[in-house]
Amino acid sequence: MDLSFERIFHPRRVAVAGVSTDGFGFGRGILLSLLEMGFEGELFPVNPRGGEIKGLKIYPAIEDIPGEIDFAVIAVAAEAVPETLAACRRKGAAGAEILSSGFRETGTEKGAALEEAVRVEAARGIRVIGPNCFGIYCPKSGLTMLPGPDLSRETGPVAFVSQSGGHAIDLAFLGKAVGIRFSKMISFGNGVDLRETELLKYLTTDPETGVIAMYLEGVTDGDAFFRALDEATRKKPVVIYKGGLSEAGQRAVASHTASMGGQALIWESILRQAGAVQTASMDELAGACLALSLLPRRPYRGVTVVGGGGALGVAACDTAEAYGLQLPPLTGEIFEAVQAVLPKPGSSAANPIDIANPYVPPQTLEKALTAAGQDERVDIQIMVPLLYHFKALAAMLGLPSIKEATPYEAMAEAGARAAAATGKPVCAVLPNPRRTLADLDVEVILREARDSFLKRGIPVFSSLAEAFSAVRHAARAARRLEGHPD
Amino acid sequence: MRDDVVSRALAQGRSILDEHEAKGLLSIFGIPVTRERLVTKKKDLAAAVREVGLPCALKACSPAIAHKTELDLVRLNIASLAAAARAYAEIRQAMGDAPGGVLVQEMVSGRRELAAGMTRDEQFGPCVMFGLGGIFTEILKDVSFRKAPLTRQDALAMMDEIRGHRILEGVRGMEPVDRERLAAILMTVGAIATRDARIKEIDINPLIVRRGTPVAADALIVLDDGGRATKRP
Repeated sequence: MDLSFERIFHPRRVAVAGVSTDGFGFGRGILLSLLEMGFEGELFPVNPRGGEIKGLKIYPAIEDIPGEIDFAVIAVAAEAVPETLAACRRKGAAGAEILSSGFRETGTEKGAALEEAVRVEAARGIRVIGPNCFGIYCPKSGLTMLPGPDLSRETGPVAFVSQSGGHAIDLAFLGKAVGIRFSKMISFGNGVDLRETELLKYLTTDPETGVIAMYLEGVTDGDAFFRALDEATRKKPVVIYKGGLSEAGQRAVASHTASMGGQALIWESILRQAGAVQTASMDELAGACLALSLLPRRPYRGVTVVGGGGALGVAACDTAEAYGLQLPPLTGEIFEAVQAVLPKPGSSAANPIDIANPYVPPQTLEKALTAAGQDERVDIQIMVPLLYHFKALAAMLGLPSIKEATPYEAMAEAGARAAAATGKPVCAVLPNPRRTLADLDVEVILREARDSFLKRGIPVFSSLAEAFSAVRHAARAARRLEGHPD
Repeated sequence: MRDDVVSRALAQGRSILDEHEAKGLLSIFGIPVTRERLVTKKKDLAAAVREVGLPCALKACSPAIAHKTELDLVRLNIASLAAAARAYAEIRQAMGDAPGGVLVQEMVSGRRELAAGMTRDEQFGPCVMFGLGGIFTEILKDVSFRKAPLTRQDALAMMDEIRGHRILEGVRGMEPVDRERLAAILMTVGAIATRDARIKEIDINPLIVRRGTPVAADALIVLDDGGRATKRP
């Protein structure tokens, strides 16, 4: 375990360079965010003008901070960054994140020269994240990225490494909503020092990280990255969304093979060869991370879909097949057992299991899931309670609101009990076609329901396709970890 | 300087190995290729045809011509010596001043055409390609890649990855393709690339399946001449 990484992600003494007492500059923003997050260590704001902010003394220079520092957040103007970084190194900092922009991304000679100066300084003995990045988010220590004063402090298994700061902060917020918990998140921007390969190697050995997710645009050393990835995926699932895969720029080449080698195809093949799970969007990456956080590592193939009527049936079969999953039709004793618990008529105990009633009683769901889970071809079950229909039920029964009519807590419990009884995990899909302003109460109930399921370790998705995609990715990662190819 | 076909071509200022040279190189590494004779003088044609046997194919063979089919420089299913002489004359005339000769080649009978190859990716280095061959390579783009060097498992996985992978099975009374032989070919293509950095691109297309066994029926090798050669096809 590299001690300098420990001091970067869990620093005790942190300098924040470039903090002004008012306005909305990055330095002030990140300092206030760190305070809001309840960062565990000591903070030392720095600005040549001095003064005070939120009861903290502002030091005129890094040199004026008493004692050593572990880490620094640098948000000064680009011209002042190399010098500030040097001061941090002399103060004993193991690393620094540089939020400032104005480097290579400007496409100017001046920007490139400044970036080179940062690289040279980093090589003298301080690890650098950035520049032009959103920095590190680490729920355990309370380090946060910008603008994230209210990210989750709950720690979890997923690490995310991103070239893009926007994707990082978005996933941090999305994760908070959908139940993905992070060990650490690193937005590395221009990546003069630490970037994909080194961070991947570190996270492979990091005991706080169980799942590695990455957003990449390009890599600096393809060979080194390939080797690190090939190694990492044998130990932990690695989920990658590669951005910028357009078919542009076909080189003028003489052979057919070279003209076939569009960037997208090569990347896809290489990531597969190295055992990574590849997604085509950030949403898909989030779904895979959620499934990999909550589901046991198994090579899932057989799925049941248990829902409350509607056109679930045919669509479920078609969709599952597209994701390489199967819906084995239930037969014999298991079919009989499922049929015995279903209300008649109109229900179907084959698979998908159609309960033919939008207001499915939780006990019925539990019994159906418990019976179907006995089939040895079934590896995982997906329940689709149509909670949005309960709004109409509330009106029919004269209840004051949808809340009194919707037994989501009992449904989550039913799923959890069935999973425990059968040893087969259960996922939930909570769709919502009611999306008008008048239906905000439905949205509220669905958010509450999501939390109920998550609390019991049941991943929740918004559509069957999303659930199938996530389960497929989880299965792929499991096969890789077991040493099987696809 | 090594005395091999690559060194000689580079010494001549060429960045292309013609079909005959390319297949010669591939066969040294154990990749099965068609039986063939290069004819540069008309008087040697009859002997070549006798050696290769009938029916045979005649093709223009020149480092200056990369895509001979498009230029109508290929004659297939030649059944007699007289037909071979006519084809030879036609091809020769169409080639004009291009250097090289005419390749007399056995006809490989097989209804399935595959393709194998190698390209050097800017980020990942040499990558081996596998896919459907013949005209389908460009139309369907049904191909997969693996970074070289390839393990046997990589080679087998890339066969399953193409959409048309069922063509490798025993469909319509055809024998299933010998996957181990095919894997060996793909691994060898990768090994050639990692051994010799001067080889920039390899094209084996079509790789015809004859009674379950793949045979290279055409090949092209592009060399990295450091941008010196002016002659590009």
